[in-house]
Amino acid sequence: MKAPGSLGRWPPSWVAVAALLTGLIVTGALVLTSAAVYTRSERRLLNLRVRELSLVLAATAPSIQTPLASAAELANATGGSSQKFREFMAPYVGPGRQFTSVSLWPLGTSHLAPSAVLGSAPVLASMPERATQFFTRSTRAGVLNLTSFLSSPHPALGFDFSAPGRAHGFAVYAEKPLPADRRSSLEKNSAFSDLNYALYLGHSERTSDVLVTSLQRLPVEGRQAADVVPFGAGVFTIVVSPIGSLGGAFFERLPWIIALVGLLVSLAAALMTDRLARRRRYAEQLVGVLDQVAAENREMYTEQRSIAQTLQHALLPDALPDFDGLQVGARYVPAASGIDVGGDWYDTVPVGDGQMLIMIGDVSGHGLRAATTMASLRHAALAYAAQDPSPSFVLAQLSDFVNSGAHDYFATMLCALIDVGAHRLTVASAGHIPPLLIDGTGGQFVELDANVPIGVMRKSPYLQKTFSVGPDTTLIAFTDGLVERRGEVLDVGLARLREAATHAALSLEDLLSELAQGLASEGHHDDTAIVGIRWQN
Amino acid sequence: MAELGVEPPTVQIDVHLDSTGAHVVVLSGELDSSNAATLQERVESIPPQPTQRLIFDLTGLRFMDSAGIAVLIGAVRNASSVSLRNPSPIIQRVLETTGLSNVFSIEP
Repeated sequence: MKAPGSLGRWPPSWVAVAALLTGLIVTGALVLTSAAVYTRSERRLLNLRVRELSLVLAATAPSIQTPLASAAELANATGGSSQKFREFMAPYVGPGRQFTSVSLWPLGTSHLAPSAVLGSAPVLASMPERATQFFTRSTRAGVLNLTSFLSSPHPALGFDFSAPGRAHGFAVYAEKPLPADRRSSLEKNSAFSDLNYALYLGHSERTSDVLVTSLQRLPVEGRQAADVVPFGAGVFTIVVSPIGSLGGAFFERLPWIIALVGLLVSLAAALMTDRLARRRRYAEQLVGVLDQVAAENREMYTEQRSIAQTLQHALLPDALPDFDGLQVGARYVPAASGIDVGGDWYDTVPVGDGQMLIMIGDVSGHGLRAATTMASLRHAALAYAAQDPSPSFVLAQLSDFVNSGAHDYFATMLCALIDVGAHRLTVASAGHIPPLLIDGTGGQFVELDANVPIGVMRKSPYLQKTFSVGPDTTLIAFTDGLVERRGEVLDVGLARLREAATHAALSLEDLLSELAQGLASEGHHDDTAIVGIRWQN
Repeated sequence: MAELGVEPPTVQIDVHLDSTGAHVVVLSGELDSSNAATLQERVESIPPQPTQRLIFDLTGLRFMDSAGIAVLIGAVRNASSVSLRNPSPIIQRVLETTGLSNVFSIEP
């Protein structure tokens, strides 16, 4: 048997593993859900931010268009006065100002060239073919037109505006340099400092079309959002990606927090479940141990009982005597339960002159003491019967024998002297239940003086009665276990016995067996002796 | 003991002196060989006197077997008189069968 204290920690109980797995699955589901919610909200936020940035960029268009448009109107009004043009545009040009170069271009001539230039020479002026194509085909009057010199050593963005409706008027052209490496970070305190961005010219996201970006490497990688920014006659494309978490660090870490807490809770639950499961297993083992002890007890009890029964049987007669003209039978039925044997006994003794003495008795109490008392009473009774088989004599002598010494028991006893040939029966009782007499008219209990049991008082008389019986009469003498039941008046048990003994014509042996089996089947609590005789004619 | 299929019956015993100086032993429950020794001890603890009168009040006693009767008989030997008060019909019948209704005085 495994000692209950030596339970190992491994392997864990399956229910604990199940609890752990359940916890991990729930945790995993929560982590995935929170991650999905986080991703969705980040994407939504990013889309909002790129829209905001796009609107801010678009809003810068008028700050470029307005001075150029005003200058174009002024040129038309002054017939292209260089001086007026310079005076008007001077505050917009120079280092740290809006443009590096502004120039006035008279249109409608075959050879296009600027008539006035402020700041550095425009890059466009060094490319006459490109300039011709730009002003004659690509631009429209009345809107801000865009061009770019991205592959130039001095990359720049060019803006053009000419007043509408005047085919031979003037175009005002401005250039704004781009950083040579196109790298420009947003200012730290800007509303968009949490974003990386790349700004492209036109509907393009090609690296060659990038105007300016905060990234060291293009294209933009990871989570990103793009928007198209209308700008004058052209468009920019803006692509952004978040630097950190737009929704806040907490929501970014939430899946990890859930994962960690879920893992800890799952582990704790598994440990607790394992502990409970072990306690339960321990309790079950304990029950097993108790069952085993109970089984061992039962075995010991059965063994003890069997020893006591062996003793009881040793004290009872080995064989019943053969008797001419008389059938004799007996049964001893041990109690269905309980260790203690009873003090029941019986004897059938031939006493000469065709007579037989039947003695049956019951010593109060149970156990070894009742059994040994029974043995001494039985042998004393046999001795008195050898002296004089008269029932009243035997009982009176036995009573005086018992009362001559100190004792704490009593015994009920029945003596019946059978004269076989004379069909005569002499019976005396010492507080014993009367025997059942069965003949052709049915069964009835012999009416006797009860007298007092053996061992109650000295010199008490034991009155006997003599009856004549008809042929084939049966006598059944028994101890109280046959008829006594808890919670039942004795007469009910007596009536039950009479019914059982007379309901069918059975041989004496069958009758005794039936009575004994009836007892055994009901699980009675007291040992019982039954003696039967039947006249054979 | 339940595993063995035996529920030991219980008997309640209460001993007191009544106004006439008799010891009254009030019994209830079931008295049999499993608990008769308890009653025996209680009865023996009553101081023996030549004029001792004992009354067993059996009103609440449902069952009594031969071991219980033996205790009552034992009491007869140590007291000047023993009465049984109000035995149930079941016990009354047992007393009649065993011829003991003449040994004890039986009070209703």
